[in-house]
Amino acid sequence: MSAKAAKWIFYLGTLISLVLFLGLTVDTHRQIKTLTHTDKLSEQVVAGKRVWQKYNCNDCHTILGFGSYYAPDMTKVYWRRGSEGIKAVVRTPERFTTWRKMPHLGLTDLELQDLVAFLQWVSEIDTQDWPPQDQKLRAAAGRAVALGVSPGATLFQEKGCFACHRLYGTGGMLGPELTHVGSRRTYETIERILTDPRSVNPQATMPTPPLSHEERDELGRFLAGMK
Amino acid sequence: MVLAYPSQRVAYPYFVVALFLFILQVIVGIWLASSYAFTMPQGLVDILPFSTTRAIHTNLLVLWLLLGFMGSTYFMVPEETERDLFSPTLAYVQLALLVGTGVAALTGFVFGWTKGRPLLEIPHPLDYLVVGGALIFLLNIGMTMLRARRWTVTQGSLLGGLVFLAVMYLFNLPFYANLSIDWYYWWWVIHLWVEGAWELVAAALTAWILMKITGVPRETVEKWLYVELGLFLFTGIAGTGHHYYWLGAPKYWLWVGGFFSALEPVPIILMLVDAWHYIQNRRGQLNGRLVFTFATGMAILHLVGAGFWGFAHTLPPINYYTHGSQVTVAHGHIAFFGAYVLLNLMFFYYAMPKLKGLASYDERRGTLAFWWLSLAMLGMTLAFSVAGVLQTYVERVMGLGYMTAQAQMRFWFTILAVLGLTLLAGVVLTVVDLLTLRPAPPAKASA
Ligand code: HEC
Ligand code: HEC
Ligand code: HEM
Ligand code: HEM
Ligand SMILES: [Fe+2]
Repeated sequence: MSAKAAKWIFYLGTLISLVLFLGLTVDTHRQIKTLTHTDKLSEQVVAGKRVWQKYNCNDCHTILGFGSYYAPDMTKVYWRRGSEGIKAVVRTPERFTTWRKMPHLGLTDLELQDLVAFLQWVSEIDTQDWPPQDQKLRAAAGRAVALGVSPGATLFQEKGCFACHRLYGTGGMLGPELTHVGSRRTYETIERILTDPRSVNPQATMPTPPLSHEERDELGRFLAGMK
Repeated sequence: MVLAYPSQRVAYPYFVVALFLFILQVIVGIWLASSYAFTMPQGLVDILPFSTTRAIHTNLLVLWLLLGFMGSTYFMVPEETERDLFSPTLAYVQLALLVGTGVAALTGFVFGWTKGRPLLEIPHPLDYLVVGGALIFLLNIGMTMLRARRWTVTQGSLLGGLVFLAVMYLFNLPFYANLSIDWYYWWWVIHLWVEGAWELVAAALTAWILMKITGVPRETVEKWLYVELGLFLFTGIAGTGHHYYWLGAPKYWLWVGGFFSALEPVPIILMLVDAWHYIQNRRGQLNGRLVFTFATGMAILHLVGAGFWGFAHTLPPINYYTHGSQVTVAHGHIAFFGAYVLLNLMFFYYAMPKLKGLASYDERRGTLAFWWLSLAMLGMTLAFSVAGVLQTYVERVMGLGYMTAQAQMRFWFTILAVLGLTLLAGVVLTVVDLLTLRPAPPAKASA
């Protein structure tokens, strides 16, 4: 190859790539308005983004798949936990985390409110169906939100039932899916299971959950209603 | 005297600081791996969370690599322009400013002072000081070249890469209200650094070292340098699109990013072929082999880390499942190590003996250090990769949830922590060796 040809490769190669890249950047700015619903990008959402950055959540959690890989991705966390669920985790992480810990970050109630608005906005970004593991929640997204606010659902999260059971496809694999448990078990049976799992099925491996009488009642009614 | 120009001596403190920070960075890395493998008590996590230590690990990495590049540039430019630096004093001021800023930033992280953007956590106004340091550096180098008026392609590539690097950092300064746009420009810094600007710097420094140690004529080296740079920029600029698949950008990035980034290994292959060719056709008598070992090792591991591990997850159908998993971390480690850690160490092993006035030196410890580091890093990469494949399958394909997958991966993080300790021993060996180089033992009768 001649020195002249080498120079041409350099100038042409750089120029072609640069022009293409800058052109597409301009177009991306145009299209991103729809793809990210900038009409819903309210001041509260922006305040929430500042909270997200202030506490450096991103150096443990990924968002849009970017950041640190130490904790669950936050792109669709609004689908998984709903607003009350997110607030509860950030307020009292020790009640929800397992063998890997999340710190007490001490957010104010106002900051939490903004943060949730931000995460809700993020959950609506058109990510070409990423992440794969959360796509099954798409249909249930509305219901998961509803879950977060009922006292029974909150207990279900707080008492660690998600570690083994799934609701709407989210949760652990050790126990059966409980989304429709109300259609195969009555309130009374569920209460007996929660008092002592072996009273219903002598081979049961589920540990006896640490519940007060009221909590058992609350959870029992919540699950019996899952039809 | 072995130094051609007295002002080259400013490189020395840059190298020493860089090596010291390298040790710290790796120690913090082992802490990170332990936080993955074991349960840290809640009380400790509240005081020193993983997020803080991760910011320290990655900022130390970037800081020491950049200090190494700057020191190397200060060493190379006088010889290449055939005149002393514009201002050695300014070079020391710049070092003090950057190290001061670095210490302030790292201390700030511990107290929660952060911009909260991964890898670019340094908050305002410290990031303006970084820009100030970069400007002093470019001024010093630029003035030296301008006054010398002895332009070469190698010099041009180095200066071009450094200016490109500094300009891209400016995209880190604004606050972006829209998260998608934020990440869009985050990659203008990160991707266009490691797959653009830094590659230009690396290509220039490597070409210069190879010219020095092989005696291959400048015309040959610089002709191929043009081709390499052209291919790096052709594939690398539009290749930025491989980070735009899932962040809320239009669908055409899947095609553009996939196509251009799939070609990114081509210039890296060319670099390896060139280096190999020059070393085979070297002229004249050599003083020692160690710099060759580093140059070859770098060219190979650059291809392995950036080329193979990069290609493995760059196509959209694969990236859909691996995006933001430990597969990414595996690639991040071996690519940074193969391309930029070894580049710095190669340059240090070339320049340090000259800075100490040694014509030749005992290479035994250095050779051991090269193999030790490289094998430990390959081991770490495999551990991260196994964890990454498990995560991809359990969390994303089977859809079993994040923590369920992490439980399956825990074993590999324990292995990782052990390999990290091994790597640390290699790093300490390297640093001790570089700081205490000894003259070569008297040649044996047969040699
Ligand atoms: C030091 C690391 C760390 C930081 C910083 C951190 N988290 Fe977490 N977070 C975790 C870990 C680890 C888990 C999961 C633990 C488990 O499930 O056992 C978690 C879980 C969560 C969950 C539940 C996730 C799910 O998928 O259901 C939410 C919500 C959450 N974090 C929000 C936040 C927010 C918001 C911030 C910033 C204000 C934050 N976290 C900062 C480590 C962290
Ligand atoms: C350590 C894992 C584990 C935990 C934690 C756990 N379960 Fe279970 N659960 C199981 C298993 C396994 C079964 C299936 C029967 C058996 O082997 O015990 C089960 C069965 C059940 C059933 C009966 C389902 C059916 O279709 O028959 C209910 C209801 C239930 N669990 C509720 C709960 C609630 C509520 C909690 C939280 C307080 C909880 N479980 C916590 C493992 C667990
Ligand atoms: C020396 C050069 C390179 C270095 C130092 C490097 C480093 C990195 C790092 C650190 C990340 C993770 C960034 C983050 O999200 O925190 C990353 C991501 C990535 N790199 Fe590279 N890289 C290099 C070259 C390449 C090349 C040549 C390719 C393609 C052929 C490539 C493909 C990718 C892809 C696809 C991702 C995104 C992974 C994901 O989706 O999570 N890289 N790289
Ligand atoms: C030359 C040595 C090293 C280099 C070049 C390096 C580089 C990096 C980079 C680039 C990242 C960001 C990762 C990403 O975004 O993909 C990172 C994070 C990390 N490093 Fe290192 N590192 C080194 C040594 C170590 C060691 C010795 C260990 C431990 C054994 C380690 C463990 C980690 C861990 C656990 C993370 C966090 C990954 C996450 O975000 O979840 N590193 N390192
Ligand atoms: Fe990239």
